[in-house]
Amino acid sequence: MKLEKCFMYAFNMALHSKLRSWLTILGIVIGVAAVIAIVSIGEGMQQSMTAQLSGLGGDIVTISPGFSRGAGMFVMRGGGGEGGFSGGAQATDKEIVLSRSDLQALKGIPDIALIDTNIRGSVEVSYRGKSGKVSLTGVDQKVWSQITTSEIKNGRMLDSADQNVIVIGGRLASSYFDQPIGINKMITIEGSAFRVVGILDDQSTNIYMPIQMAYQVIEDKKNGIYDSFVVKIKNEDQLDEVIAKIENKLMTARHVTQKDRDFSVSSSRQFQQTRAEALSSLNAFLVAIAAVSLIVGAVGIANTMFTSVLEKTKEIGIMKAIGARNHDILLIFMFNAGFIGLVGGIIGIILGTILSGFMPALMGNLPIMRGTAIVSLNSIIMALSVSVTVGVLAGVIPAYQASKLKPVDALRYE
Amino acid sequence: MALKKENNVLLHLENVWKIYRMGEVEVPALQGVSVEIKKGDFVAIIGASGSGKSTMMNLIGCLDIPSRGSVYLKSQDISKLGESDLASLRGKTIGFIFQQYNLIPSMSAFENVVLPLEFLEYDDREAAKRAREILISVGLGDKMHHRPAQLSGGQQQRVSIARSLAGDPEIILADEPTGALDSVAGIEVLSMLHRLWKEQGKTIIMVTHNLNLAKYAHTTIELKDGQITKISENDE
Repeated sequence: MKLEKCFMYAFNMALHSKLRSWLTILGIVIGVAAVIAIVSIGEGMQQSMTAQLSGLGGDIVTISPGFSRGAGMFVMRGGGGEGGFSGGAQATDKEIVLSRSDLQALKGIPDIALIDTNIRGSVEVSYRGKSGKVSLTGVDQKVWSQITTSEIKNGRMLDSADQNVIVIGGRLASSYFDQPIGINKMITIEGSAFRVVGILDDQSTNIYMPIQMAYQVIEDKKNGIYDSFVVKIKNEDQLDEVIAKIENKLMTARHVTQKDRDFSVSSSRQFQQTRAEALSSLNAFLVAIAAVSLIVGAVGIANTMFTSVLEKTKEIGIMKAIGARNHDILLIFMFNAGFIGLVGGIIGIILGTILSGFMPALMGNLPIMRGTAIVSLNSIIMALSVSVTVGVLAGVIPAYQASKLKPVDALRYE
Repeated sequence: MALKKENNVLLHLENVWKIYRMGEVEVPALQGVSVEIKKGDFVAIIGASGSGKSTMMNLIGCLDIPSRGSVYLKSQDISKLGESDLASLRGKTIGFIFQQYNLIPSMSAFENVVLPLEFLEYDDREAAKRAREILISVGLGDKMHHRPAQLSGGQQQRVSIARSLAGDPEIILADEPTGALDSVAGIEVLSMLHRLWKEQGKTIIMVTHNLNLAKYAHTTIELKDGQITKISENDE
């Protein structure tokens, strides 16, 4: 029998058992739709990740005291403007700090464009009779506005002439206290009054103030001792080389070697990459879960095919009696299974694409999901070929069984 | 060995045994049957149920292979052919007519007749032309696109005759062709077979338990308990 005839016959077979075919197709639809929707979220995350990578801070390097393998992420969060994790790097018993001599060493590196010096601490803040504890970062107000990745929503960044003024995080301004804090309002930090000149476009409760003021406000911070340096390098492409230079220079300045290194150098790019890796493994995990439903769908196809073979046993006998060869029968049943897979795949892709449209709304509150879900051509091709392959594979055994039926036995079957 | 080479012998059974296993017990359905069927003959194989005639029909129709002995169809030992070759040989050489018609219910009369031609990989247009001609010749020109369920028993059996003729086989193998029909339709089917034999020179092999049908045949083979008891020729 010619291939197209086998296909036509398989097609007719699917049409003549509509309900069963549709139920089987539904199994594949669910599997494929789940895979498409989840892959689309992954692609969306990946893309927003790439955008963040190139958009912010590819040229920013953070130096903090203490050294441990996992420290990079936490140190970076502190330096990147969100704060709150500065203690993570200090691991040894004698206190390790960054000092003026380290700053001098950094200034000797020509590849560095700007250096921001930071100290951090937790402070008591009150506004209109209400008070609370928030984290405060003292920054070098001359360069901070050029280095920070945060963006201003209202007012302005800190300026070189600023003294008793602060910039505050978005959430601190909007909802931390009973009443929202506006521009030019005074708030009290550890007993001193400061004027708010800027509100950041973020969800933090951080306070940023000139470092000289911060030394006075934060307890136990001595002038000339820093919690971290944030530097901006001149050429983003030389990031790795500059990091190496910084490490060498600081090791010399601090009289340490690679073995007893007591400081960390990390870039926001490294941090983003770590985050991207974590994301992609999370993504792979989700896809694996979705794939399980696709496997269940395949089992459904196999089940339907076995039922079809049983139901069609007599027909198989008739066809064999009138000249059908084994491989004709095999092809007919394989095509039938493949057809179910194909239709399931197509509908699944459509459904998955529609679903993925709703995904950003569903996941809107997660910071990792800032992009939209993206259904790529790759995932469509992948889903289609997987569903057809799954269909055919699930059909192999039943089809083989059908093709091996003896004509006498099949004809006698009622 | 020379016998099967004879030109006018189409089918030759040589000491054929067919033994079925029912659990531990072996049941011989055919016991050393030897017979020759000549080209252009009209043969009736008759016997009561359990005489082994269905088994013999399966062997003649290459639907099954013997436990012992040999079946030669056009000088080819069917036990030595692979499944696919056997299917092709069947498709080309033998047209089946079954007691229960065995049409494919989801297909129209026309599609049922075209089907064997598709297995023989006929050209589409040629196959359609041939199916139409044959259906007209059995008097179903106006019912080509009816499904089997929309046809009477006699009409279904005529579709099945048309299907058996589609590939222009040398042998028409009919298993109780009138078994499910009333007497009028039965006679119609038999006279149709008779015409195929007389006018088109087909070799007709008919398996039946009905002794009255045997009178239409030229050669009658009587079976009892898996053995041939009598072969007679009707030379009128």
